[in-house]
Amino acid sequence: MEEMIRVKGLQKKFGKFKALHDVTFTVNAGEVVGFIGPNGAGKSTTIRTLLGIIDRDGGEAKIFGKDVWKDSLEIHKRISYVPGDVALWGGLTGGEIIDLFIKLHGGGDREKRDYLIKRFELDPKKKSKSYSKGNRQKVGLIAALSVDSDLYIFDEPTSGLDPLMEAVFQDEVEKIKQAGKAILLSSHILSEVERLADKVVIIRQGKVVETGTLDELRHLTRSTVTLVTEGSVAGMASVNGVHDFKQIGNQAIFSADNKYINDILSEAVKLDVKKFEAVPPTLEDLFMRHYEV
Amino acid sequence: MKEKFARWSTLFLQYLKRDWKKIIIWILGLGLFSGGFVPAFEEIGKGQGLLGMYETMQNPAMISMIGPTPVDTAADYTLGAMYANEMLLFCGLFAMIIAALHVVGHTRREEEHGLTELVRSFRVGRQANSFAVAVEAVLINIVLALSISGIMVSFGADTISAEGSFLFGASVGMAGILGAVVALVMSQIMPTSSAATGSTLGIVGLLYIVRAGTDVSNVDLSMINPMGWTYLTYPFTENNWAPLGFAVVFCCVAVMIAFALEGGRDMGAGYLPEREGRGTAKKSLLSVPGLFIRINRGVMLSWLIAFAILGAAYGSIYGDMQTFLGSNEMMSQMFTLSGVSMEESFTGTIMMVMMGLVSILPIVIVNKLSAEEARGHLSQLYSTKMTRTQLYWTTVILAAVTGVVGTLLAAGGLGGTAISAMGDSSVMDMGDFIAAGYNFLPSVLFFTGLAALALGLAPRLGKVTYVYLGYSFVLNYFGGILDLPEWFSKTAVQSWIPRMPVDEFDGAAFAIMTVISIALMILGYLGYLKRDMMEGA
Repeated sequence: MEEMIRVKGLQKKFGKFKALHDVTFTVNAGEVVGFIGPNGAGKSTTIRTLLGIIDRDGGEAKIFGKDVWKDSLEIHKRISYVPGDVALWGGLTGGEIIDLFIKLHGGGDREKRDYLIKRFELDPKKKSKSYSKGNRQKVGLIAALSVDSDLYIFDEPTSGLDPLMEAVFQDEVEKIKQAGKAILLSSHILSEVERLADKVVIIRQGKVVETGTLDELRHLTRSTVTLVTEGSVAGMASVNGVHDFKQIGNQAIFSADNKYINDILSEAVKLDVKKFEAVPPTLEDLFMRHYEV
Repeated sequence: MKEKFARWSTLFLQYLKRDWKKIIIWILGLGLFSGGFVPAFEEIGKGQGLLGMYETMQNPAMISMIGPTPVDTAADYTLGAMYANEMLLFCGLFAMIIAALHVVGHTRREEEHGLTELVRSFRVGRQANSFAVAVEAVLINIVLALSISGIMVSFGADTISAEGSFLFGASVGMAGILGAVVALVMSQIMPTSSAATGSTLGIVGLLYIVRAGTDVSNVDLSMINPMGWTYLTYPFTENNWAPLGFAVVFCCVAVMIAFALEGGRDMGAGYLPEREGRGTAKKSLLSVPGLFIRINRGVMLSWLIAFAILGAAYGSIYGDMQTFLGSNEMMSQMFTLSGVSMEESFTGTIMMVMMGLVSILPIVIVNKLSAEEARGHLSQLYSTKMTRTQLYWTTVILAAVTGVVGTLLAAGGLGGTAISAMGDSSVMDMGDFIAAGYNFLPSVLFFTGLAALALGLAPRLGKVTYVYLGYSFVLNYFGGILDLPEWFSKTAVQSWIPRMPVDEFDGAAFAIMTVISIALMILGYLGYLKRDMMEGA
């Protein structure tokens, strides 16, 4: 598989503050990579480094095999980017700004533009100073999606969008993915990442702490089990792999290590199971586990 | 009825609390500007100064700019008459604009920001907010009027009488209330707050232009103009209070109309439909230069127009320069040299002054790029094929071009009116004025280069260029009076340039300064290529 982004040991300092310690990950062609982490973890700094807006202090960062700082122009021909907070010139209309962005990127598609404006329900004739946050975000998204690129970088693209528009966005990303393009999606909305991403990169305090597919990550953690039995459920507390055991009457809620799931089931069967529900961890659970103090 | 205004007083007190800093600056700033120039005018009026000023102010160009005086003979043109003649219209104009901005800011803008929505969810009347703002504006302008009167009386000048001072202050305050009222009406009609601001300023501008025409042709017609009711009170001469009465009646009617209109509209909506903008961009916008010309357009146009008007204003005094400058010690020290004609030496000095002002615009344009950068306007553009080279040189070249055009307009405006004012006795032709202007072009380029250097190396220091410009300006302007040591004067960049037409053109100085300026720009460019963009930081 062709490597679209390759970041290795990336470092960035702002004065004395070290924003990035060690960021390492790759994005391959046809892959959607979710880039998640709390505010201030270094997501946007990493993305700005990738775009050549700021220069790194150490490590390696390549897009399409080219250096992100030195060859930024070569790279920019084939990427699209939407910042988390799209700031626009108040005196220009949304339509004018979209056209400008497309023109400066090069290779835009008129029909695609009009189609996206319709899909995102944007009024392009309004001056952008009267746009809400969500509408400004739409302008950025439409401009980025109207041009043909090989790599799309989205920094919290749906902040301010309503759920309907979020769905439209996810739909469009789905299409790009089908077309074999690569996407780096930084987001707070974990359900969105869960739906779209093949791979997840979790960053914390300037360091990548976890990388892998969702399945791989899930395997490392526990499912939440709700169990109702005929007999006394109290005994389950001491079974291997059961944690955080809570009991109300004959109902128990606990988290279960996935590798002990067979032992737990066999023990439960002995108690005459009336209800057994196992919920796999959501990305949110994974995320919280990394940031629990 | 009472319900509509329920709890307006709470909102009113809240506004005073929220705005007190702004109010203090507003009253002090405008108060000192309006009333504080009495000593300066006393200085100007010394000797034959009043006479010279009187002649100058009879010029139709001057009347259209600052208004007429009721005085018929130069002998009656007292200090007070001169002060009211030259200051009142403009002070009123400023008061109007500030009050108008304030009112729109607290009415429609708050609706747009969603503050009104919150406030209205409480037990607050639907029109309480507008009423509170109106009361606040009236109160502020009354205090302003009293402060101006107080300041003027405190100088104890002979012809600045107490009655005149109160009338002067009241006229300025009334102008402020007029502005507030017009803004209140437009806030109900217009679809957005920016349209309300725009239309209010448009109306003020229109009234100003109309009165310029009627002042010159027939002053009586200016009395139909609401703006006329502010400056045709003629403080210190006729002390005519009647126009203020018209203004009060006008304001009461307009406020009633505003409240009736507000009662019939939805929050956040006006009576006029929102004007649709373009759905697609014109071709001229679709490039880096196109974008930067567009986002700087307003600022460029207004500054360039100001340069032309400024040139014309200075040019209009050439006709009576002998009476005007010859009799005033301070003025003649600043503007005259022995051995050359007064007109020529005045040209040399005033050109230096105007070129200092012309230098502001290029700095504004260069600093605009770092402001755009910091506001994140360029974030998404960085990921396109647009280069830093394009960004930087587009900005710097645009700045330099505005400097060249600004010079032409200032020098041309000065020359055009000066030549027509001097008539047959003219000692200079248009070429002399233009040459004297472009002689200072290297200094304009130098400030552009300095701003560009800051943009490339330390964007946060962009404002320092203004400080240096202000410093050199003051040094040059007062250099003639203060008798400074040579090395000290030379710290101001313009002093390296000879003052044409009095001095000879110095080609070497011109070339060297131009080269230094371009070198600064290139240095800035190298820094701009290397540094991190400061986006959002």
